[in-house]
Amino acid sequence: MRNTVLEYEVTKTVELARLGKRTDGRGLEEMREFTVEINKYENAEGSARVLLGKTEVAAGVKIEVGKPYPDSPDEGAISIGAELLPLAHSEYEAGPPSMDEIEIARVVDRGLRESKSIDFSKLCIKEGEAILVAYMDFYAINSDGNMFDAGSIAGLVSLMNSKLPKVDEKNRIVKHEYTGKLQMTKQPLLSTFVKIGGKIMVDPTYLEEKAAEARFSVASTEDGKLCAMQKGMGGSFTVDEVNYMIETGIKVAKETRKKLAKFL
Amino acid sequence: MKMGKHGSEVVADYSKDKKRMDGRKGMDELRPIKIKVGVIPNADGSAYLEWGQNKVYAAVYGPREALPKHSQNPYKSVIKVSYRMATFSVPERKQPRPNRRDSEISKVLGEALQKAVFVENFPNTEISVFVEVVDANAGSRVACLTAASCALADAGIPMRDLVAATGTGKAFNEIVLDLNKDEEDAPDAVDIPLGILPQTGEIVLLQMDGVITKEEFNKALQMGIKGCKDIYKIQKSALKAKYELEELKLDSAKKAIKEEGPSQAGEEKAAKPEKAEKAEKTTKKEDKAKKVKK
Amino acid sequence: MSKKVVVPGDLVSAERKRLGSNVFVSDGKVYSKVLGISDDEGEVASVVALEGKYNPQVQDTIVGVVGRVVFAGYGININSYTESFMPKSSFREELKVGDIIVATINYVNELKEADLEYAKKMYGGEIIEVTPVRTPRLIGKNGSMLELIRRGTGTEIIIGKNGRVWTRGGNIPLLKKVVKFIEENSYKSNLTNTIEAFFGVLPPEAGAAKDKKGTTEESEVMDQAQENEESDRFNTTEGE
Repeated sequence: MRNTVLEYEVTKTVELARLGKRTDGRGLEEMREFTVEINKYENAEGSARVLLGKTEVAAGVKIEVGKPYPDSPDEGAISIGAELLPLAHSEYEAGPPSMDEIEIARVVDRGLRESKSIDFSKLCIKEGEAILVAYMDFYAINSDGNMFDAGSIAGLVSLMNSKLPKVDEKNRIVKHEYTGKLQMTKQPLLSTFVKIGGKIMVDPTYLEEKAAEARFSVASTEDGKLCAMQKGMGGSFTVDEVNYMIETGIKVAKETRKKLAKFL
Repeated sequence: MKMGKHGSEVVADYSKDKKRMDGRKGMDELRPIKIKVGVIPNADGSAYLEWGQNKVYAAVYGPREALPKHSQNPYKSVIKVSYRMATFSVPERKQPRPNRRDSEISKVLGEALQKAVFVENFPNTEISVFVEVVDANAGSRVACLTAASCALADAGIPMRDLVAATGTGKAFNEIVLDLNKDEEDAPDAVDIPLGILPQTGEIVLLQMDGVITKEEFNKALQMGIKGCKDIYKIQKSALKAKYELEELKLDSAKKAIKEEGPSQAGEEKAAKPEKAEKAEKTTKKEDKAKKVKK
Repeated sequence: MSKKVVVPGDLVSAERKRLGSNVFVSDGKVYSKVLGISDDEGEVASVVALEGKYNPQVQDTIVGVVGRVVFAGYGININSYTESFMPKSSFREELKVGDIIVATINYVNELKEADLEYAKKMYGGEIIEVTPVRTPRLIGKNGSMLELIRRGTGTEIIIGKNGRVWTRGGNIPLLKKVVKFIEENSYKSNLTNTIEAFFGVLPPEAGAAKDKKGTTEESEVMDQAQENEESDRFNTTEGE
């Protein structure tokens, strides 16, 4: 029960928020410190372990041969999965994917895919017959909130560090041989906000998520364009608030990219 | 070219080569093992373990109320292990959904821990043990069992002993300890996952597949038991690593507490003497309390 | 001195002795059940656990939080294996979810369900969570450590054996750091002297006795007898 959020903690969080303050002393536009470890998992074509505050995520990419979709015969594909492992929090249960897990996976997916930063034609092996599919799955190891942004960072870093396997004339993967890295022309990143006590803040901790009335994620690329959005939870935002979050999201993502530069 | 067990092409003869495919000189040599406990803050106990290329996390939640209520056992705690592998932990991507192998391993690992834990102390509760493999190269289940036992100790759950586990068996004409993937793929490979309570040598996990004589099996078993005892030493150091029985000095206190100085108790009379006495009375009462045996 | 860090199954004493906490006997020898600090000096072999959930004991003072409100009463979260139920009649006022109470355990059954009495609601303040098995060190012999940190920070403090410290007023940020330091170093020797030295000379309180002489260096020889006496205080269960 160490991590049961107590009601009085939620009340305190809301009180502090009304004064523009946060329980961990951060600014409203300040992300937590994060660290990244790349390519530690040797069976994966690319991998990243991200520690965002106390939230820990392990992400890995497996690239396999697949069949192209009929309406895009010369394009490869990516597929994103997420799991909130019961390891990560006493509230997570083993079993079929929960709605939260599915939402997180799909939002991170759209953030990456809709940025149009992957040249899928480079993942085509033989038009109409065979393509490469990059599966990126990320797992919560310890949850202290904001799996969205942690997953987004881990996903981006692991995909950009993935090696493309060599394929033989029978369209089978040749073990231990590679033909270069997965290329991404842009670096999409999610920025997630919550509204607590009427105030908006970025990168919520678990406690802040519990105290929040509404949540918003926006994916942006370095050119300031937006490529995905998701509003979550039962509360609401004003138009001004949404525009504020978009502006701030672009700013925060730029700072994150700077810190990630050495890994990309 | 000899065809390996799973259709791969591996050739070696350890009785001639005198060294193993991954460079280990000893047939009874373990791959390097590193363990760190207390790595998952939300869990009651946790461990991260690297064993050769294997990398696994173990987290323990409990003892906690067992739900649904009908799964409760009025005489003891139920240990539930969930063994899972990340999709990217193996050479060919694993499907996210748990398969039958995952279920079987979860079951035998849970049973291996039963004898070690004082389950009778916590009736009606459940001890949940979650193990997740993020990188695998033969022996992931024994790596998980070894890590799980460290996580249980880290959670402060009373146990008779830790559980130490290793793979043992035969490959390329020799009895070998801790088979790696190439050895598991040998045409004559025999894989024996083994788990013991190191103090007494009692066996709590034992599985086998392959063809082997009784004598070979016993040789592998003895090698495995010795291997487990070596692993036990590594488990102990990992658990003890956080705790140094040193003598405290004022400097360390100042550094840790960052010398904000004691508050001026004169000015900040937060507590009226009467309330302060109540706090004292509270503590004096519990100090003098008689502990009633159940 | 024979204090050692032990893991479950480690030998505590090769001879038969009276059994303290967290140990078991096998083949005439005493072994540890938990990760902890063993002590086999004297007639009792015991282990002070370093980690672990709160094991409710009769007469323990605990800090609880109201987790559920039902028609007849309240489900109180006491940071143990199960929650405790209290009827509404136990309180003078209506409680709501999140309210903090201090109570005493008056009965524990074989399923470790605890009944509470002498409950009272605490107004304001906050909770500091600590590892339950280390709370005795925060209290100290006869409440000496509690007194020291209370005066040193000017706060109101109630220490619940269930790993919760309720506090209000005074220098709470300092208190949090001191509590964390004591918790992390609870098993090390010279802790009391170090904390005394840290707070230095405390101004006398109305009605209080003498001043404690603060020391700036730990040139004092550790008081072995005091340490041993204090370590007896760790025992919250008798030979299970």
